[in-house]
Amino acid sequence: MMARFLRSYARLPGLLLVAVGLALSASATSAQEVIKFGAPLPLTGPLAPEAIKQQQGYDLWAEQVNKAGGMSVGGKKYKVEIVYSDYQSNTPRAVQATEQMITQNGVNFMFSPFGSGAAKAASSLSERYKMPTIASTASSSQVYDQGYKYLFGTFTPNDTLTTPLTKIVKAKASNVKKVAILARNDLFPLAIAQEMEKSAKANGFEVVYFEKYAIGTLDHSATLSQIKTLSPQWIFVTGYINDLLLVRKQMTDQQIKADVVSMIAGPAYQEFIDAAGASGENITSAAWWHPAAKYDGKDIFGTTENYVKLFREKFKSDPDYAQASASVSGALFQMAIEKAGTLDKDKVRDALAATDVMTFWGPVKFGSTGQINSLEPPVFQLQGGKAVVLSPDIIKQGEFKLGVN
Amino acid sequence: MSRANLALLVLIISIATLPLFGGPYALRLGTIACMYAILALSWNVVGGFAGYPSFATAAFFGLGAYIGGVLLARGAPLTIAVPAAGAGSFLVAALLGAALLRLRGHYFAIASLSLIEVFRELINNATDLTGGGMGLNIPLSASAGILADAMFFFYMMWGLLLATAVMVIVVSLSKLGFGLSCIRQNETAANMVGLNTTLYKSIAFGLSACFVGAAGAVYAGWVHYIDPSDVFDILYSVKPIVMALIGGLGSPLGVTIGAFVYLGLEEVVWRNYIQIHSGVLGVLIVLLLLFLPHGLMSLRGRKLFWRVKNV
Repeated sequence: MMARFLRSYARLPGLLLVAVGLALSASATSAQEVIKFGAPLPLTGPLAPEAIKQQQGYDLWAEQVNKAGGMSVGGKKYKVEIVYSDYQSNTPRAVQATEQMITQNGVNFMFSPFGSGAAKAASSLSERYKMPTIASTASSSQVYDQGYKYLFGTFTPNDTLTTPLTKIVKAKASNVKKVAILARNDLFPLAIAQEMEKSAKANGFEVVYFEKYAIGTLDHSATLSQIKTLSPQWIFVTGYINDLLLVRKQMTDQQIKADVVSMIAGPAYQEFIDAAGASGENITSAAWWHPAAKYDGKDIFGTTENYVKLFREKFKSDPDYAQASASVSGALFQMAIEKAGTLDKDKVRDALAATDVMTFWGPVKFGSTGQINSLEPPVFQLQGGKAVVLSPDIIKQGEFKLGVN
Repeated sequence: MSRANLALLVLIISIATLPLFGGPYALRLGTIACMYAILALSWNVVGGFAGYPSFATAAFFGLGAYIGGVLLARGAPLTIAVPAAGAGSFLVAALLGAALLRLRGHYFAIASLSLIEVFRELINNATDLTGGGMGLNIPLSASAGILADAMFFFYMMWGLLLATAVMVIVVSLSKLGFGLSCIRQNETAANMVGLNTTLYKSIAFGLSACFVGAAGAVYAGWVHYIDPSDVFDILYSVKPIVMALIGGLGSPLGVTIGAFVYLGLEEVVWRNYIQIHSGVLGVLIVLLLLFLPHGLMSLRGRKLFWRVKNV
């Protein structure tokens, strides 16, 4: 009786072991002459479009390095390989993918998963495994203030986008008093809207309206007519390209006019400029980087112009800050590794921390928290179907214009 | 206690030896496996025993994660946050259940599905408390090292799984389980013979939410960062059902095995097919269900005594 019972169930743990065993049989290829970079990306799910941008950025960098014969580390040439993994736009999977890459795929260095949230969640692993990691899409300062040593980021804090914009409006548009803010209820768009509220208040503007709209909202007309009744001189909207195009279209339908209309982060993309057409005229925005910027870098890409050219050749479209940040993250790793002359993680970490260099992305220097503190994100305005940089002064291309109809 | 239930406990206890074999990554998988098993076993109470196709698992997982997460973020220890999340989910589910469970079949399925949306929007708009779309950061507890942390959360989740299994077994042996079984077979008749079906169903719904909510709280403490679209992911509702179907509907042992097998499949497919893993996984599940309509339990061939007893 008992024996039969035991026999009946002897197979169960076996089955389980097979499942777990299969799961653990990782493909551990040898890392000879190759430096492996781990890049967990949300290739499927709601963040997929962002993942593709990052992948383009990393791929372009890896291709350039390998075309040039690889990285020279201590007199030896190494090819670059980027190990991708899909975390399905799901933060816990991003953490899992990070741990998998570190412990099973044997990557030498890591790129963070997308966005502040996932980058923060995964950063504790980088710290525990002492794995130098660059976050190419995490801006919130809360990601970096955990006292971690191995995490670096190429985005300045969110307020560096809103503060210069507010300063320009304050200086150039004296009759702007009332601000209306409409934000997508999502990590980055909401955070930037809150920063906007803060910098508007700090500069003496009156915030007459602050509302969030849900992800996937397809009709903003009620919200917009409410904004219209308040007649603000400055309308500030956050969201991604499709949200912002819709808001802009419905603003035109309702004939809402304002001295200043700012949108983040749509106008940084060429798709926005094309789709908005005439209605995009005089919209202001800010981003960490813009192809119109002109920096003369010491990295593998050299000038911003050259980077944009290489990108166009490969992908037949213009890069925006997301792709450029991914590329510069690779380039920064490259410079740090070549300077350290070794693949030793601690030495590369120290070289990264000591980075102080001009790149096609702008000047790069990491603060004590690991977040970049040297970059002044450009403020720009769409004028005549083109993005014109208004600030900072070293890359300024034109003057601020009032009136969005 | 039936052999199937005994086997379930033996299986769960054998999982506890995982730290002897694997490192942090294996422990991470083990923690996820236990979490999946909790979701699937809990779903089985309302979906398997009472026959109500609930899609509300994700709603209570998210609710528990946020109750736990908010408490943790305000400095409460896990020992308070986890039970609070469990109790909160039980209460909310039982109350909502009293209203929702008057619907049957597809109508109930849709109503339970909408719960996810409702909770997500509530949490999304309570920005001051929950951070809204920006998500909620949960401070890292003092780390005792990679392995110790992994071990801690693994045993935490494992303990919850054990508690869930005990709850399910107790329910299946009690008058409640018998009543639920009557409800599944013919609710009107059960009502006629004097069974308080509303009460029974509400308790079942509450129990199915309780441990899911607690698992959500452990999860929040484990990943340190939650946001509404992560924890109210509809996949948390669908996966337990798929696991139950893989393992064998209604049988706690089958459902648990289904959860582990599902995780194994997911992991293997995810590793090997970066671009099309969702598709491959879907095809595998369809094949499994086509050829094993009663789940892995039907592999046993001859006497399917646990199904006869517990379904």
